[in-house]
Amino acid sequence: MAEETAKPAYAKPLPDRRPEGDRFWEGMREHKLLLPAGPDGTPFWYPRAYTPGTMEPVQWVEATGLGEVYTYSVHFIGPSKAYKGDPPHIVALINLDEGVRMMSNLVADEPDYPSIDPEKVSIGMRVRIVFHDVTDEITLPKFAPA
Amino acid sequence: MREATPNVAEARRMLNKGIVISGVGETEQGKLPGRGSFELLAEATKITLDDAGLTLGEVDGLVTAFSFVESTLMHSTTFADYLGMEPGYFASVAVGGATAPLMAVQAAMAIDAGLAEVVLCVRGDNTRSGISSSGMIAMAREMSHGAFEAPFGLTTIGGYGLLAQRYMYEHNVPQEALAAVVATQSEHAHLKWNAMLRDVVTIEDVLNDRWIATPFHVMDCSLVSDGAAAFIVTTADRAKAMRPKPVYITGIGEGYSHQYISEAESVDSVRQGLGRAGRRAMEVAGITPKDLDVAEIYDSFSFTPLIALEGFGICGPGEAGDWVLEGNGKLGGSLPMNTHGGLIRQAHLGAMHHIVEAALQLRGEADDTGRGGGNHQVPDAKLAITNGSGGILAATSALVLSSEPPAAA
Repeated sequence: MAEETAKPAYAKPLPDRRPEGDRFWEGMREHKLLLPAGPDGTPFWYPRAYTPGTMEPVQWVEATGLGEVYTYSVHFIGPSKAYKGDPPHIVALINLDEGVRMMSNLVADEPDYPSIDPEKVSIGMRVRIVFHDVTDEITLPKFAPA
Repeated sequence: MREATPNVAEARRMLNKGIVISGVGETEQGKLPGRGSFELLAEATKITLDDAGLTLGEVDGLVTAFSFVESTLMHSTTFADYLGMEPGYFASVAVGGATAPLMAVQAAMAIDAGLAEVVLCVRGDNTRSGISSSGMIAMAREMSHGAFEAPFGLTTIGGYGLLAQRYMYEHNVPQEALAAVVATQSEHAHLKWNAMLRDVVTIEDVLNDRWIATPFHVMDCSLVSDGAAAFIVTTADRAKAMRPKPVYITGIGEGYSHQYISEAESVDSVRQGLGRAGRRAMEVAGITPKDLDVAEIYDSFSFTPLIALEGFGICGPGEAGDWVLEGNGKLGGSLPMNTHGGLIRQAHLGAMHHIVEAALQLRGEADDTGRGGGNHQVPDAKLAITNGSGGILAATSALVLSSEPPAAA
């Protein structure tokens, strides 16, 4: 994990914590992408207490962190003041190779994971997960070009 | 997903009783500092009662929505108390942008059940002037999953942007098609007395505008406004004694495909989900898209009407952009759309104004020449479709409105 120096406190939105998501966030802290799955091992997203549609119990499986961009939107304005002055950030939906789709940001695999140049993004491009430790508690899954 | 199978015959049985929209009314729209949320609702109520030729005492049902400013768990009865009325039937409907058509359906069902005969449906808010910063954050976060979307800086605009960019990619839809929606509706808003943006803009103007979140410029987005609107739902029998020409609700339908944009299966599943609302409404009404004279289609963003036009079967998949670029949606085109300017040019009040405008079109009263606007009447308009969508095209409700009673009534 990157060593924390005296950085300003992270002011961007942090995830609402619900017990259903605890395993996911625990995995993130260990830099593992864990996905909830039904009894047959088919993953689903987002975490719930039961497998959606079937009410079956949930197990957790580790994913490769590889996938492709399903779609993206370059955000020139963020949802809060904490984004003011930032270059545009790219919100994307990633189709993971395990068959689930999750939201993330497209970033460069560099310190602090800055946004990549929007000109270099295309639908269908291959990406891989990077683990952005934004606080001591929270690591966000972000994606960089594979 | 398992699809619900509503009973078309039963919907027709209800509507064949003759369920109509009578009075309608809108306040000024825009930035209206100094007027509170309930004050605006009361003002819309007064305008609407005057339009109907009703007194408050004749109203026995009240359907309201929600407010981002006045937080109350009991919105309808809180407003009933403010008005000084004692409704026999009351409900607060809260399904985001799908709320307005659902309010009409709620009123129709209350009438059918014998709970009320004259139902006031009213929605409004001082969203632009009155909202607190915590209210703004709550609103911004409303459409994001709090754990798995919000931390990535998703905005509501960008959430729609995700879907729009995939739609444009799959169907090779140019940015000009979105801009053409804005340009078309700007011509209509130019004629609407209370539109916030009255200037006519071109496709180039939109393309040169500032980006908010791709593929949307500022002008591709709906407005934030203060204001209110209302309509009366009643029986055809009761409406005889009211001033306006009754507008019949002849079709109702709802459709859902996902809640969070991450969960939307595909562009087509969204199109089918929201399309179901319009297709069911037309099935109940016993009409096809070719029968429509006017379309007041929810337009949270310039992209929104495109996928709805396709979902409703007015255009084929991926064809709505060309349809708009060819001028079909303009006044004088094959199916004029958002003849009031819509959410992106008139004001944002969910789908309230879409319903009011559809009713005025079918009454033949969509000429604002005498009140500072212009004539945006579709000549001889008899059949309209209107809809609203909540979330990021998550939940949709649609109505078919007619100047004539249902065939069997």
